[in-house]
Amino acid sequence: MRQKIWSHLPTFAPQVPAPQAAAADGLSIATVRGWRLREPSSGRRYTVLRLTTRGGLVGYGEGAPATAADIAEAKAAALGRRPNETEFIRHRLAATPAMEAAVNCAFLDLQGKRTKTPVYQFLGGPTRFKARVLAHLEGQSEDALAAPLQQAVRQGFKAFTVPIPGRDSLWRMQAYVDAVRARVARVRSLVGVDPVGVNLAGADMDFVLDAAGTLTPGDAALLATALEKNRLMWFDEPTSVLTNDGLARIAEESVMPIGLGRSVTDIATFQNLLRWGSIDLLRPSLGLNSISKIKRMAAIAETHYVAVAPYHDGGPIATAAGIHLAASLPNFFIQQIPFPTAERDRAMRAELTSGNQETAKDGFAPLRNLPGFGIEVDERALDRYSEETV
Amino acid sequence: MRRREMLGALAAAGALRGSPAGALRGSPVRKSGIGCGCAFEPAAAIPPGSDVFKDVGSKLRITDMKVFGVTLDEKIARADRPYVFVKLETNQGVVGWGEATLEGKAGAAMACVNDLRDFIVGSDPMQSEHLYQLMYIGSFYRGGPVLGSAISGIDQAIWDIRGKVFGMPVYELLGGPVDPRGVRGYYHAAAWTLEEARALRDRTRQAGVTALKFQLPDLLEWVETGRKLTRAVKHMEMLREGLGPDIDFAVDFHARPSPTVAAIILREIEPFHLFFAEEICPPENMRAMQRAARKSTTPLATGERLIAAYGFNDLIDLGIVDVLQPDIAHVGGITALWKVAAAADAAGIRMAPHACEGPVGGIASLHVDAAIPNFLAQEICGLVEAGEMNRVWEDLMGFSAMRMVGGQYPLPTKPGLGFEVSEAALKKYPFQGTRPFPPAFHEDGSLASL
Repeated sequence: MRQKIWSHLPTFAPQVPAPQAAAADGLSIATVRGWRLREPSSGRRYTVLRLTTRGGLVGYGEGAPATAADIAEAKAAALGRRPNETEFIRHRLAATPAMEAAVNCAFLDLQGKRTKTPVYQFLGGPTRFKARVLAHLEGQSEDALAAPLQQAVRQGFKAFTVPIPGRDSLWRMQAYVDAVRARVARVRSLVGVDPVGVNLAGADMDFVLDAAGTLTPGDAALLATALEKNRLMWFDEPTSVLTNDGLARIAEESVMPIGLGRSVTDIATFQNLLRWGSIDLLRPSLGLNSISKIKRMAAIAETHYVAVAPYHDGGPIATAAGIHLAASLPNFFIQQIPFPTAERDRAMRAELTSGNQETAKDGFAPLRNLPGFGIEVDERALDRYSEETV
Repeated sequence: MRRREMLGALAAAGALRGSPAGALRGSPVRKSGIGCGCAFEPAAAIPPGSDVFKDVGSKLRITDMKVFGVTLDEKIARADRPYVFVKLETNQGVVGWGEATLEGKAGAAMACVNDLRDFIVGSDPMQSEHLYQLMYIGSFYRGGPVLGSAISGIDQAIWDIRGKVFGMPVYELLGGPVDPRGVRGYYHAAAWTLEEARALRDRTRQAGVTALKFQLPDLLEWVETGRKLTRAVKHMEMLREGLGPDIDFAVDFHARPSPTVAAIILREIEPFHLFFAEEICPPENMRAMQRAARKSTTPLATGERLIAAYGFNDLIDLGIVDVLQPDIAHVGGITALWKVAAAADAAGIRMAPHACEGPVGGIASLHVDAAIPNFLAQEICGLVEAGEMNRVWEDLMGFSAMRMVGGQYPLPTKPGLGFEVSEAALKKYPFQGTRPFPPAFHEDGSLASL
């Protein structure tokens, strides 16, 4: 993933000069260990780092899938640093965004544990007492979506993603639009919501139409306009063509809110999308962007009255971190949480951490007023599900 | 006649009061060799009692400035907005009244009026434009709402004096009246069921009122759930059905939605043909508002939180809205409201001045309304039926201020702003301190834009 995203970009030298490594005190990082994890059924991958200070404090951080070389790079960056040096890390690991995210996450965990406060206090204090959550369902057909959707409802979720069907060139446009409409109507009816979304009765379940970047801007504009009165919460990643012209087409033709950014890793890309009015919801991925970086993105979005809903396709540590971030952002809207269909995957996520927060109450996840991210990581479980440990 | 004496060559030196203590004096003095402006003494003693206008100005001088905080009972008016009235007294006995009420910031507005004292006391009130420049430009940091409101109160009082000196209503000084029948207005209203809307329609027609303004049913986040979007649209659909076709109704979005959410609602309410949709999103980022505005055929209005004519530049030049709503108690008084109106008129934009404070600002606004060809309607925070608040206003002003007759506010006919505030009545409603604008919160405890 790193190569795909970064191969076309030049690598900049860190803009922040490397500070002198702190004198070897109790807070400096003494060891870094990384686990490359894989869920047994879905094959979803993510990376967990454990950072230990000389004084014996342990912090965990999660990032997107990474190579052993990436983990070695993270180790080189973090060793001897103190957990307050998140700005140094942001620049030092700019070329390995997954590792920047993981080290930052572990630094914040250490800061919270060191001060015996929840990380959201460290990030500016809570702006809300619970965070709205979005279940990201697996399954590419209505039938495959039905069981996980109903399970997610039972676990307290009230917002869900619905993938659009993939379109090949033989699929006539009208038939395709009808098929997308039918899918939306079907999933709505599965949870007892009016299929076209015009009646208030039972209308407290919400859906996000997920295109996963598969459409051209033209097709995306057509689909957005066709479904703009269907009360979808937003249209997510309609296209991967993030050009001003392409996105302007979607934004000008419809009032459908557009969420973008799951593969974006630099702040200025979001600034550009905001400047051009192309984006209604920032969707930086928790696996590819540190909490500190997403806070910067959110600060820029705030002046455009645009909300932030972090994308998340990783594991439960980042989910917990995401809730702390959500608590601190005034323009937070919803946190995506992967909702695996397979029991084995669900079991793995539950084993990795105690205090797993991947359920909801009335559509929201509560904040946990505990030091750090408020979870305990089980290292035996990390070892159990690890493809490689570095 | 007396006003001629005031303006004419009345040579009595006594009419020219000297500068009060603390007024700016002296010529430029360079304190150090470093070219930083901070090292200079103020350049010149411009106005208060300054001599530079002695051959061209009047003999009229402002001799005192008084600020009144007026708190009404919480059951009558919201506690966050005690009225702030300004009274200017002159060496010729003429007095002027203005209003500097600022919701949630009464203490700051009163203090800021007093901060401007050295600019005003000792000055010639006939120089309304010069004094406006002095208060706005001369304050260096230009205007935010506190300074804007303070300038507004003083500026209105200055115009009141000017009108009285010339012996004509202020709207005549401004080139009006454009429509001698009066000034069209609208009241606030609420109806949550079809039956309530129909009953409201009947009462509104009976009163001869032609336009009303409503709120949205919910607080809104920057992305919204289906339930709240549906409630917003259905609410407006119900209002149109209940009010019928011949009552104009506006809906105040009150900056609750983002451009994202506003665009969705605006697209769906087109068939209900609103009078206008107001403050469809927050006020700071004009280009963000433009995103939603491009999607709307409903006339859009905004402007109550903007200060001075400068605050309206982007709205006008980018063609974002159809109606501007400066508030005469915040924008910078009669001087600033008229300037905004002039720029809007040239661009084909109409004016529906905001007013949600006391009766003094409301009446001052009527004078500008009466003199601008691009006027649409005047707001007042009152209901179709007069209530307790209106009785207090009658007590303060000596007549039923800001009540429409046949859908229009009658034009004042006396010189100046056309009223005297009873200081004896003011004493009945002493200032009870500042209360903040009451905040509102979403379901998860996060702050909402109210």
